[in-house]
Amino acid sequence: MSNSTTSRGGGTQTVSSPREGSPSASGPTGRAPRPEWRQRLTRLDVRLSPYLYISPFFLLFLVVGMFPLGYTAWVSVHDWSLIGGKGEFVGLDNFREVLGNPYFTKQLVNTISIFLLSSVPQIVIAVVLAALLDNQLRGRTLWRMSILLPFVVSPVAVAIIFGSLYGDRYGLINELLGYVGIDPIGWHTERWASHVAIATMVNWRWTGYNALICLAAMQAVPRELYEAAAIDGAGRVRQFVSITLPMIRPTMIFVVITSTIGGLQIFAEPRLFDETNARNGGSDRQFGTITMLIYDFGWQLRDLGRASATAWLLFVVICAFGIANFLLIRRIGALGGDR
Amino acid sequence: MTRRPGFLVYGLLAAFLVGSAAPLYWSFLLGSHTKEIAAQGVPPLLPGGHFWSNAERAIATIPFWKAIGNSLLVSTVTACSVVFFCTLAGYAFAKLRFRGRGPLLVFVIATMAIPTQLGVVPLFILMSEFGWTGSITSVIIPWLVTAFGVFFMRQYLVDAVPDELVEAARMDGCSQIRIFWHVAAPAARPAAAILWLFTFMQVWTDFFWPLIALPHSNPTIQVALNQLQSGFFKDYSLVLAGTTLATIPLLVLFVVAGRQLVAGIMQGAVKG
Amino acid sequence: MKTSKTRRYRLASSALVALTLATTAAACGGGDDDGTTADGVTTITVATFNEFGYEGLIDEWNAANDDIKIEQVKVGTWDDAKANLYTKLAAGSGLSDIEAIEGDAMPAILAEEGAFEDLTDDEVDGRWLPWVEEKTLNADGQMIGYATDIGPEGICYRSDLFEKAGLPTDREEVAGLMGTWDDYFALGEEFIKKVPDTAWYDSSGGLAQAMLNQVENPFETDDNTVEVENDELEAVWADVTGNIEKGLSTKLPQWSDDWTASFQNDGFATMACPGWMLGVVEGNAEGVKGWDIANVFPGGGGNWGGSFLTVPAQGENIEEAKEVAAWLTAPEQQVKAFAAKGTFPSQVEALESGEVTSATNAFFNDAPTGEILAERAQAVTVQPYKGPKYSDILQAFQAAVLRVDDGSQDAAQSWDQFLTDVEALG
Repeated sequence: MSNSTTSRGGGTQTVSSPREGSPSASGPTGRAPRPEWRQRLTRLDVRLSPYLYISPFFLLFLVVGMFPLGYTAWVSVHDWSLIGGKGEFVGLDNFREVLGNPYFTKQLVNTISIFLLSSVPQIVIAVVLAALLDNQLRGRTLWRMSILLPFVVSPVAVAIIFGSLYGDRYGLINELLGYVGIDPIGWHTERWASHVAIATMVNWRWTGYNALICLAAMQAVPRELYEAAAIDGAGRVRQFVSITLPMIRPTMIFVVITSTIGGLQIFAEPRLFDETNARNGGSDRQFGTITMLIYDFGWQLRDLGRASATAWLLFVVICAFGIANFLLIRRIGALGGDR
Repeated sequence: MTRRPGFLVYGLLAAFLVGSAAPLYWSFLLGSHTKEIAAQGVPPLLPGGHFWSNAERAIATIPFWKAIGNSLLVSTVTACSVVFFCTLAGYAFAKLRFRGRGPLLVFVIATMAIPTQLGVVPLFILMSEFGWTGSITSVIIPWLVTAFGVFFMRQYLVDAVPDELVEAARMDGCSQIRIFWHVAAPAARPAAAILWLFTFMQVWTDFFWPLIALPHSNPTIQVALNQLQSGFFKDYSLVLAGTTLATIPLLVLFVVAGRQLVAGIMQGAVKG
Repeated sequence: MKTSKTRRYRLASSALVALTLATTAAACGGGDDDGTTADGVTTITVATFNEFGYEGLIDEWNAANDDIKIEQVKVGTWDDAKANLYTKLAAGSGLSDIEAIEGDAMPAILAEEGAFEDLTDDEVDGRWLPWVEEKTLNADGQMIGYATDIGPEGICYRSDLFEKAGLPTDREEVAGLMGTWDDYFALGEEFIKKVPDTAWYDSSGGLAQAMLNQVENPFETDDNTVEVENDELEAVWADVTGNIEKGLSTKLPQWSDDWTASFQNDGFATMACPGWMLGVVEGNAEGVKGWDIANVFPGGGGNWGGSFLTVPAQGENIEEAKEVAAWLTAPEQQVKAFAAKGTFPSQVEALESGEVTSATNAFFNDAPTGEILAERAQAVTVQPYKGPKYSDILQAFQAAVLRVDDGSQDAAQSWDQFLTDVEALG
């Protein structure tokens, strides 16, 4: 299993040479020589098939992936109204306008805040949960399935359900807080409270999923390491910190990066959480996100130029975060490994 | 390992299970009571008897069956298409040699990081040009293949199909497509099932693009739920009955294929 | 182990095949794009928002007609409907055969040249009140929409809560106490002293709407120049935000969950009630007793809303859609819609019909709603000028009010932000 990696890279070259000669070599060994056209066809088949197999992906990707990417850039440097279509070339004006718009800064901060509130606790809980599951449990599969349950509920449904729990005046959560003497919290009006509410939705849906990924990584840790540590007198917690965590680092990077790409694009939850008429994320954009701003610019203010510029800025932010995450986790891991 | 977990572990897991299930129960609970009771902050803990009448009202308020039908159609078609094309491409990347394989694979991996939201403006313009906006085609087309699918199948097939087998089939004079069909495809089945499930769920739960592309008269279930929630009478007994009802198809899928889902997530992690 | 695994996959794959087949069948059942099925039946979709009272009418049509069937597409609020409308308008496809337009947005729709069919027809000549008909004509004199209803406003109130506060409960007496906005606000202050847990009116947004509809040029001058820094608008702003401090408002966004729940929780005592609001109140306050409506509106009459049916040019069944729109807005039908949801007719004949003038509403303590709303319609003296940007600016204005309502900004900050928002509309 482990050497399969080398065989795909280096092995191909060596295997290929005898195969190229095989049709001619088969002649003398006694098999009837194939007709010339068949040979040519076979060779063509070998040469073209790979391209044929990957072409659907690349063709479609060209249309729905690459083209939109380039076209977004094209749209973003023009006046481009939803109804009227393309207008004049305006250079970087759209970018300037978006960057100068106070809502952009605010919604960028909101997006990052919601992202941090949802991903940090989520990963911590997921790791703990995975550690709990990494035991000789009775009904193992059942436990694993049960933590995955929220994952099948769509973000829209999650937002509706949690929205009803987080009512400012008549919601269950504020009622319960009232029982223990806490004043009602303005989940829809106070900026940070609204971020917490939305982060809860994300966490509820994704924690179990990420716990399973971490669990898989934990199970790949060689058990001898734990045994050796136990002999050295390391307790369970100590084992977890100095063996498990460093060993699952690559998986953590994977989890963090995928949740970055998804988390920074959050749309359904905040939009459905909003109850004001404009649905832009609260009266003062308390919980408006960047993707909501794209929607607002493009389909409510009907300005596709600004929407495209915002989309590109979002892309830049996502890339920056992805790289930062990667470096950060590598660094944390390196510190742990130095000991 | 002989670590036998104690009550603490089971207790914590059980607490987590309750947390996972509670919001769903809440949804059903409010959906089963009348509007007057649902409007109170703290309703009774046991379900009332109005679930079906509420659900019927929800179905009458939005084009519910049409939306479910659309979602099923979109999810199934895309899932099948993704599985087919990605297995094909994944196989090529895993087992066939051709010029430019390395760079192309790197390209596929790199595109996995591109957020779909980014292309939404041109996609909209494109679909409008073709006159597809408003029809279900506009939601299917962008999902027919995914970079993740190609990468996932490639990772699986590298190990699952022995090079010797492909070799041998070739020596016997099998055409490439026959080798794919008789050697690679059967071996790919477990991974294909997982990819199918994931694509199905992903497309089923997608919201942003369908919201833009589809009209209120021809929505997917997520867009229809949005319509229900923004409803004029914000009637939670009705909205949550509808939400519960709309969640049932995936719950059924979960019960039937939950094991594969778990296995898929855990496998994807090790390979990724 | 191995065999059980294969069996499981085989099971899963046959399930997939079954699902695919089922889906394909479902698709064939309902996937007709142009609305015409093989047996020659044309389906006309009618997109509405809020409550139009069309359910019964559509059943009636569908029972009587075999070649054309009507299908209603309901959306919650106009703002959602509007976003969808413009998106599909831009896409060139995806609109319903008939799209309902909120009155305030009609000027913007009239400015979309060629996007909507000219519905001018001798048969409907003189059907509507002249000032309503005027709102449907574009610059070329084409009639773009058929008016459904108008929104003459009265004051809905909770007589039981009035009693609790020691105020008169009889609708004539109540009407006598609310002649001007100052009277109305003063009465409110008296009320909340006695019943501190209940607000005076439902939402600042609703109040703002009511007051804006008495202003000659709220946002735009007669030549469509945006002019929001005018004395009249600033006066409305001062009143609305001033009352928030006094505690007269629920401080809830209109149409929100909490707003809806407040109907069931004695959240407020009065609200501005155009005819179509009666159906909304009845729906939200189901089971609550004590609602009544007073034949009065502070500061003179006011008209809030009233909608129009339009036929987008991108549709496939223009003629049929036109026919259906004409039928739905005919006087006889509007009389029935009024009975169903209180949407007050804009058709001359319907206004004279006995069924309307003598109508009473059981939910509102048997109030003679036909008579009251007719008088309220006559009291309307000001038709505010609404240009193409009105609807968009209104949305920004409502958000501005809400920022003060929910305490995220003070009145001055919020006003400044409103000015910026208006500028961003371009």
